[in-house]
Amino acid sequence: MHELDLARDVMDKQLIDRDCTEMGRVDGVLLELSDGSPPRVDSFELGFVVLAERLHPRLLALLEWLRRWSVRKTARQVVQWSAVEEVTERYIKLSIDATETPAFDWEKWLGMHVVEHLPGGKEEE
Amino acid sequence: MKKALQLALGILTAVGGFFDVGNLATSAQAGARFRFQLIWSLLFATILVIFLVEMSGRFAAVSGKALPSAIRDHLGFSFWLGPFVILTLVHLLVLGAEIGGISFALQLVTGIGFQWWAFPVAIVIWLFLWRATFSAIENSTSLLGLITLCFVVAAVVHHPPLHQVAAGARPTLPSHDGATYWFIAVSIIGSVIAPYLFYFYSSGAVEDKWDKSYVAVNRGISVIGMTFGSAIALGALVVAAMVLAPRGIHVSDYNQAAAMLTDAFPFWGFVLFAASMGIACLGAALEVALSLAYATSQTFGWNWGEDLHPREDARFSLTYTVAIFLSALIIAAGIDPLKLTLFTMVINAAVLPFVTIPFLLLMNDRRLLGTNCNGWFSNAIVVMIVIVSFVLAIVSIPLAFIGGT
Repeated sequence: MHELDLARDVMDKQLIDRDCTEMGRVDGVLLELSDGSPPRVDSFELGFVVLAERLHPRLLALLEWLRRWSVRKTARQVVQWSAVEEVTERYIKLSIDATETPAFDWEKWLGMHVVEHLPGGKEEE
Repeated sequence: MKKALQLALGILTAVGGFFDVGNLATSAQAGARFRFQLIWSLLFATILVIFLVEMSGRFAAVSGKALPSAIRDHLGFSFWLGPFVILTLVHLLVLGAEIGGISFALQLVTGIGFQWWAFPVAIVIWLFLWRATFSAIENSTSLLGLITLCFVVAAVVHHPPLHQVAAGARPTLPSHDGATYWFIAVSIIGSVIAPYLFYFYSSGAVEDKWDKSYVAVNRGISVIGMTFGSAIALGALVVAAMVLAPRGIHVSDYNQAAAMLTDAFPFWGFVLFAASMGIACLGAALEVALSLAYATSQTFGWNWGEDLHPREDARFSLTYTVAIFLSALIIAAGIDPLKLTLFTMVINAAVLPFVTIPFLLLMNDRRLLGTNCNGWFSNAIVVMIVIVSFVLAIVSIPLAFIGGT
């Protein structure tokens, strides 16, 4: 793909990490604006607060308030565009390890504190 | 040869998985109240669902995406949020109705009130999903679901007047209880075109790693599977018309429907009814719970898959866990399973536009589907389905209040 339409090809797209693990979606795109040169895609963001911001400022305030109980280290995970390895019709592949990012904080916490304590939750494949 | 086997298995799956508590309740009410007069609504809904299931399977096979994922990808979060929230609530109600169906089947054979069975049933459903793989769930419940063919056998045993059955395929105006007639007609359509069916089917195709070579298999499964599945619902309607209508039984609760099979199978009828209801509802409950977890995980881009160990997709696994126990609460609170089912089927009909409009948009995306896009005929059908779904959305809720039983 040589031309990218940000709304069509990037926003809301499924993100996968270097091991093809699904790690979320592109919830927001950040552009870099500088004098004399065209806008440039700098990074994109993941997180419920980013989605809330897209919908309504009050929803954002509510989520910010709810964050006091969140296990996620950062509400907004920023991924630099330079981490993008491949953009396809189905996904955007990144060169990072998803399990080491805030996108997996909840997944790891639920696995450790809930799933492991349920019958069969400890078994290895 | 492998494809032929998969086609056969897929058809069995569709037949076994088609019939659920909604089909049973609406068919029994239709037959008991209006004999064969509402057969047209079942046939009409079957034709529509064949097209929609074929499209959801073709979409997943060609694009590699399940429907909820594709809707967020291509139509955006702002478009999808409202339908997603509403469809999540509908999923919970349908799951509650299915749990109610299993609980009632257990009440029939044990005599212990259905509400006491809600949580034990929820635990069984949860254990199935927690421990089994996708294909094990799909194949075992669907093969067991073939027990529902007993309604077809019973219909044949009763020798229904074929000219009257055939006449029921033509829409006619009711001679009595007009509001109830239309309420049941809408409920039948809502029970056949259930939103979860499309999310489950397309996500299942992704789980089964379908590709373009499955387009023909998918067509076979949709047409043959849905037609045979609908024949079971037709069997239940005919049996209700032959057994319940002459006795003036209107099926205001499941106890009245339970006698449907005792004329055809004097010794086993009661047990067969309970077994059919329990197994059909168990299969559907698994599909609904998975469908909800698929839709949620795909909406937020989480890792998902029934074949993964729950530790590998904790959010996916805990989504269906919470859904199952929330839905069980509805039944444990003592809400009548039949009333919940009929109400839920009407809500299914009311939310159909949220399901059908994305079909129209996605099935015409050449970048995704290339030459497998909808042709003019399929588009004409989808446009008709969208129009019908809007009409249903407008009339269904008022009908529930005017004609609801």
